[in-house]
Amino acid sequence: MAEKHIHWDWEIKTQTSWLGASWKELYSYKDLLLRLIRKDFLASYQQTLLGPFWAILQPIFAVLIYVLVFYKVMHITTLGIPPFLYYLTGITLWNLFSDIFQNTSTTFVVNAYLFSKVYFPRIISPLAVMLLQCVRFLFQMLLLIGVLLYYYLVGKIHLQPTHFFLAIPAVIITAGIGFGTGLIFSILTAKYRDLQNMLQLIIRLLMFVCPIFYSLVLVQPKIKWIVLLNPLSSQFEIFRYSFLGIGEFSSLQIVYSAVFMILLVGGGVLLFNKVGEKLIDVI
Amino acid sequence: MSDIIIQAENISKLYRLGAVGTGSLKQDMKLWWQSRVLKKENSFFQTGISATGDAISDGYLWSLKNVSFDIKEGEVWGIIGQNGAGKSTLLKILSRIIRPTEGVVRGRGKISSLLEVGAGFDRELSGKENIVISGYLLGMKKHDIRKKFDEIVEFSGIEQFLDTPVKRYSSGMYVRLAFAVAAHLDPDILIVDEVLAVGDSEFQKKCLGKMKEVSTQKGRTILFVSHNMQAITNLCSKTIWLQKGRIRTSGDTQTVVNNYLSAYQRKLLKQEWESPDTAPGNAVIKMQSVELIPYLSNPLEPIDVRTPLTVRFRFHNYSKQINLTTGLHLFTLSGECIFDVVCSPAIYDEGILEGECSIPGNFLNDGSYYFSIVFLKDTSQTLYYLEECLHFDMEDFRENTNWFGKWPGYVRPQFPFKLKPCKNTVSIT
Repeated sequence: MAEKHIHWDWEIKTQTSWLGASWKELYSYKDLLLRLIRKDFLASYQQTLLGPFWAILQPIFAVLIYVLVFYKVMHITTLGIPPFLYYLTGITLWNLFSDIFQNTSTTFVVNAYLFSKVYFPRIISPLAVMLLQCVRFLFQMLLLIGVLLYYYLVGKIHLQPTHFFLAIPAVIITAGIGFGTGLIFSILTAKYRDLQNMLQLIIRLLMFVCPIFYSLVLVQPKIKWIVLLNPLSSQFEIFRYSFLGIGEFSSLQIVYSAVFMILLVGGGVLLFNKVGEKLIDVI
Repeated sequence: MSDIIIQAENISKLYRLGAVGTGSLKQDMKLWWQSRVLKKENSFFQTGISATGDAISDGYLWSLKNVSFDIKEGEVWGIIGQNGAGKSTLLKILSRIIRPTEGVVRGRGKISSLLEVGAGFDRELSGKENIVISGYLLGMKKHDIRKKFDEIVEFSGIEQFLDTPVKRYSSGMYVRLAFAVAAHLDPDILIVDEVLAVGDSEFQKKCLGKMKEVSTQKGRTILFVSHNMQAITNLCSKTIWLQKGRIRTSGDTQTVVNNYLSAYQRKLLKQEWESPDTAPGNAVIKMQSVELIPYLSNPLEPIDVRTPLTVRFRFHNYSKQINLTTGLHLFTLSGECIFDVVCSPAIYDEGILEGECSIPGNFLNDGSYYFSIVFLKDTSQTLYYLEECLHFDMEDFRENTNWFGKWPGYVRPQFPFKLKPCKNTVSIT
């Protein structure tokens, strides 16, 4: 009949596209993205005593415990750097990774109800979570900078501001790896709930494979490859090098990590879009 | 404005039944093995419909099967059906929440759907914050929200609680705020799932009024799921009746709704007993037949509040020389007696007697009812009590009203009732 000249704006087919939504559509949801970040930020500090200060207090307490355990009790050397500063540098970057990973990996489990009632490009949810964690990271960077300045002023360390910019790619790669793995795990945890329990284990394990409390220099050559296989390892070395001037890394490692990150994020996003929509049926 | 805005072509949706999650890895592997390695067609897709037509096969269920329809711009469509008929699945597919297993939907323009009142609300946040966030979630733009914010607040009537976290709201306030946001969406196509299930009747009326306004004044296309036939007939020009995942009928609302109601009415309008051995009764009274006759112009139409009814019954009277009278009791389904009508007592000879009682239209309220008949001696001593011999449903019917809630009262008589201006009086100013 007259069907020939009807122009359709959209089509709902049996298969999802890999991208989930067009760039144009994604862009039209930018206000939602910003609001979700704001909402999560406000909601997480609603009815708390200290509000956003927790983003700073929590690493301080954690680092104090690590100093006690690893430095005072186990006597692991920090290569002449004050242990508090040494651990804080590592923990700041580690928190960025683990917060992004942990919070995006429960996207489907947490949003199951919302996803089954309202349509919006699903990727918006983990994106908002990641960006919120980046905001928290900025708070923690303020703390790190404050502590750095303190130790610089009392003469315990030297600062080389030209090296600071090296931290930026390290942060981006770390955040990207956290996001990519988080997306992949968000699908796995939704499908097989028991993986949620595994998650904590994986994070704990990863924490010790990353050179946070030790330096790569201290690792025995025999087992060094295990640590180097971890694309995050070199990021910790670079991050520490940029602020404290110590660290061991090569350009090959950086390329390895960068490629790893790009593959993870790309694969994660595609998988998230493709499989995610089918998941709504089962969660 | 006769362009097709949504076209659904043979959409089907398959669901896996049972405990999803447990053993699903095993099932996934099995499926993968069958489809990829053994190159079999996905076997469960083909098994299709079982003999009973229940569309269940081997732990899988077709929630929707081959549903096709064309919706034109500016039309308001109702979707009706029993629970589990696939109404919500259909809406979810149209809202892009889930994908169909088969088929395709094409359309034009922007869709907003309201499948759940308050989806996307965060209980920790203030009303103000939630208006914005659920507005964005439902697809509003920044300037839309800014422009309509005051209107939304006014519609919801919760002005003084705007800064309170919504978790401290009463459930009524919560629902009002949530619907207020949805009501101010301005999409080309609005999809609404059973909004009337929540909120008080006053608010339901407001919601329906708003929907009517959106459709008539702005010419928007609406798809509306409801169990409230009154609301469907009032709002929708076309209706789809879904049954077990398939379209039973679709088209003009009044026809579809009438067919639907008469198919599902719980009724026992006639009973006849051929032999006195099986007939209810005793040595004095033996029933022969009992019948409820509605006066309908079209026998396919359901009984509604306007329909006059006649109850006719026959029985064999074996007694002589007793002062006999019969009473007709009408009960609601919950067992409350609406009336007890008795005929005047008289003495009859042995033989067959017929009783008839007429109940006028526009007297009973809508609801489910049953009749019982009592046989009395000397207007006081029960000879026989025939319980629950006739069942019927009385459907709602209203004209010239915007009220869609349950009509209160046991009866709904139309007594003469007039308003008129008074003459020769001075109004007090």
